Amino acid sequence: MRRTTIAHLSGIAVLMAVAAVPWHAAAQAQESENPFTSRIDVRMGRQSYQAQCSTCHGINATGNPEVGGPDLSTGQFQRADGDPGLFRVIRDGIDGTAMIGLGADATEQSVWQIVTFLRSLAPAGVDTGGSAAAGRALFAGESDCARCHMVNGDGGRLGPDLSFVGDRRTPAELASDLVDPDAEVLPRWWTITATGPGGETVEGLRMSEDTFTYRIMDADENLRAFSKYGDWSYERTRASTMPGYAATLTVQERTDIVAYLYSLRRDR
Amino acid sequence: MTLPRNSPARLRTTLAAAAALATTAAAPLQAQSPAEGAPMFTPVTWERLVDAADEPHNWLMYNGTLDSQRFSRLDHIDRSNVADLELKWAHHIPRLDRAETTPLVVDGVMFITESPSNVVAVDAATGRPFWRYDHPLPDDLRICCGRNNRGVAILDELLFMSTLDAHLVAIDARTGSLVWNREVADHRGGYSKTAAPLVVKDRVVTGIAGGEFGIRGFLDAYDARTGELEWRTYTIPGPDHPDNLTWAGDSWRTGGSPTWITGSYDPELNLVYWGTGNPGPDWNGEVRPGDNLYSDSVLALDGDTGEMSWYFQFTPHDIHDWDAIQIPVLADIELAGEPRQAMLWANRNGFYYTLDRATGEFLLGEAFAHQTWAEGLDSNGRPIRRPNTSPSRTGTLVAPIAGGATNWWSPAYSPRTGLLYVNAFDGEALFFIRDEEYVEGDTYLGGGTETPLPIDHYHSAIRAIDPATGDVRWEFPMTPRSRAGVLATAGDLVFSASVDGYFYALDAESGAPLWQISLGGRVNASPMSYAVGGRQFVTMTIGNTLYTFGLDE
Ligand code: HEC
Ligand code: HEC
Repeated sequence: MRRTTIAHLSGIAVLMAVAAVPWHAAAQAQESENPFTSRIDVRMGRQSYQAQCSTCHGINATGNPEVGGPDLSTGQFQRADGDPGLFRVIRDGIDGTAMIGLGADATEQSVWQIVTFLRSLAPAGVDTGGSAAAGRALFAGESDCARCHMVNGDGGRLGPDLSFVGDRRTPAELASDLVDPDAEVLPRWWTITATGPGGETVEGLRMSEDTFTYRIMDADENLRAFSKYGDWSYERTRASTMPGYAATLTVQERTDIVAYLYSLRRDR
Repeated sequence: MTLPRNSPARLRTTLAAAAALATTAAAPLQAQSPAEGAPMFTPVTWERLVDAADEPHNWLMYNGTLDSQRFSRLDHIDRSNVADLELKWAHHIPRLDRAETTPLVVDGVMFITESPSNVVAVDAATGRPFWRYDHPLPDDLRICCGRNNRGVAILDELLFMSTLDAHLVAIDARTGSLVWNREVADHRGGYSKTAAPLVVKDRVVTGIAGGEFGIRGFLDAYDARTGELEWRTYTIPGPDHPDNLTWAGDSWRTGGSPTWITGSYDPELNLVYWGTGNPGPDWNGEVRPGDNLYSDSVLALDGDTGEMSWYFQFTPHDIHDWDAIQIPVLADIELAGEPRQAMLWANRNGFYYTLDRATGEFLLGEAFAHQTWAEGLDSNGRPIRRPNTSPSRTGTLVAPIAGGATNWWSPAYSPRTGLLYVNAFDGEALFFIRDEEYVEGDTYLGGGTETPLPIDHYHSAIRAIDPATGDVRWEFPMTPRSRAGVLATAGDLVFSASVDGYFYALDAESGAPLWQISLGGRVNASPMSYAVGGRQFVTMTIGNTLYTFGLDE
């Protein structure tokens, strides 16, 4: 299905849990994986955070030097391994410091939601295991990606601009984009075929559509506009125009391209 | 500030109004409207409100008439000339927010409400102002859904407006001076007010918002002259009433069931009809087992005492936020060969209902939009729920969305075509359940929703429903989903708008589009129509601007 904040967040949560070293046996979090990772949980987590943590860690969780509450917005924690470790620190506190914790009475939901909120502030860095340099060469060269995709002003117009694709897609999602492009196609990339009064057809990517009109870009990158109630009829196709690369690229090549794409992020 | 009832000045204006009224019935439209420089506004008596349909050049209440058909008897603009509509004037609303207003027009003067809780009176022929009233608001408002206001009500020379800080104010219609200001509820407890009130005889009937804050809903009636509370009917009965048992434990105290849209009134039956909103918390029904009466219902209340005559609950034990905050449309129709005093209701839960408005009897009901939560309605109109449609920890996919198959935006009914025109949406959403403690003045939701696909994946349309069968006769598709109300006219036109800023007219019989203009802004309001100087206008608020269209001279 389509990308959502849920998919994005839970993707991170899963990766974090896998990357984490097994936490201390005394940790009594009943679940090792955060079950509360939707946008609702980000919102509720933010509310609890602001009510119970912001005095010491700052309203934006960037820390409060006066009290000694550290920055919690970087995705890197000294005292907590992975989500379960974070859960434990938030519930049990850190002995001998001002960090008291919510206590054993706090519901699992409320603790996990704060974890989700803190994770939402900084999607964690992930090691994709590929070579971004090799991926970049493939992208611009033989694998033809640049014909359709722009990166930092260079490339084609027949696909989304990928300059900051690492901000919106996890490595797992990027890997799936390469092999299964039809899985989730945003309406912007549907195809519309318009048929004129003489039977002539024009096909193009759906740039925008409303109740009375639609606008497309055809294969020659011409911009064209049509009326739904005029002489032309139209049909929409929801499949992707991007080819799948499962057969034409090796696993290593795809891993390298994912490493490159994931490196395309705004500096934080 | 208001003139005492028997003062000579009031008598004079009332007589003038009566004289104006006497000419209304017979004279052609041209003669009713003031010539240049002639006096414009005249006081609006209760009798004029009852017979509002007889003065179609005016728009005297939120939905036009007490039966809330949002049908204009003006027919100058019709199917043959609607394509020639052109912009006459525009009024810019200075505060940026959702503009949800339906203006009133009284003998050439238009009253427009603006975000957050302001009113401006303009010349309805030109849009140029006479006065404005800016309501002062505190900083700690508790509102779920934007700083908006949907319109005023009028009686005699007083305008009545809800304010975001949960007050009801009365404003002098000639000058904009504040006449009285009544606190309806303490806004710090999560209460706010956004809907246009409804005048019933010499009272102002008005509801409350706050269904996302664990309030206990009610409907109030205030003395129009003094602002004294005359009756209050809670939408959740107290422990002295058997229906209180439809709420487990103390959950009724925070059970929501607000009344944040305008109702209707039947003068013959002396019944006030009002829809109620979702039970609180919205998505966690586990803390409030039971049917949760009278949430998601229509209430029929005695116009003098507020005493309940009957209720009909559309969605018992709602866990999807499907407020029955729609307009009760009252129409006399023929059903299975019998004349019926009917109420027509396309509900947020995806079903259309025809009820008997004298008794509350369920006459028929059919889905009018995509829905996945019920097998259908039983013979009493109660939904037959499907299993596995409750909000869950990981999200349950259900149609319609929380925002509904339709929502508060007004439908329209044309007695000429016998069709109800509704803005419908075939969406779906993931519904999540969460534990949430009630804290006074904080949101109390118990979960949330997410839409799994971009909005353009889903279908939206104006649908024409036959109230005698529940069938959809035609639909006019929209991309993307719309949040606009509908107006029907005696010119056999249906006016509405798309969310991305088209204002358009359809053929009321076939649904064929006849005219449209792209105005660019987001739409959150319902259209209305009026006439000045013998010329018909249609008005719609789009983005931050109220636009008025008419034909060339
Ligand atoms: C009274 C002040 C105070 C409050 C309130 C407080 N903290 Fe802390 N917190 C601290 C201090 C001081 C530290 C650093 C402890 C140390 O010396 O390691 C800390 C450390 C932490 C850490 C570990 C940071 C790391 O790098 O590993 C986390 C996570 C954390 N706090 C989360 C929270 C959350 C979530 C809340 C609210 C539920 C909260 N804190 C409330 C003072 C506070
Ligand atoms: C023929 C044009 C075309 C070619 C060649 C092409 N793509 Fe695409 N690509 C698209 C289109 C159109 C979409 C959007 C529709 C979709 O999601 O499948 C897309 C989507 C994507 C996305 C998802 C982007 C987002 O914003 O979510 C990624 C990542 C991507 N392509 C990478 C690649 C890579 C890497 C290559 C080369 C190996 C490539 N594409 C080759 C047209 C193309």
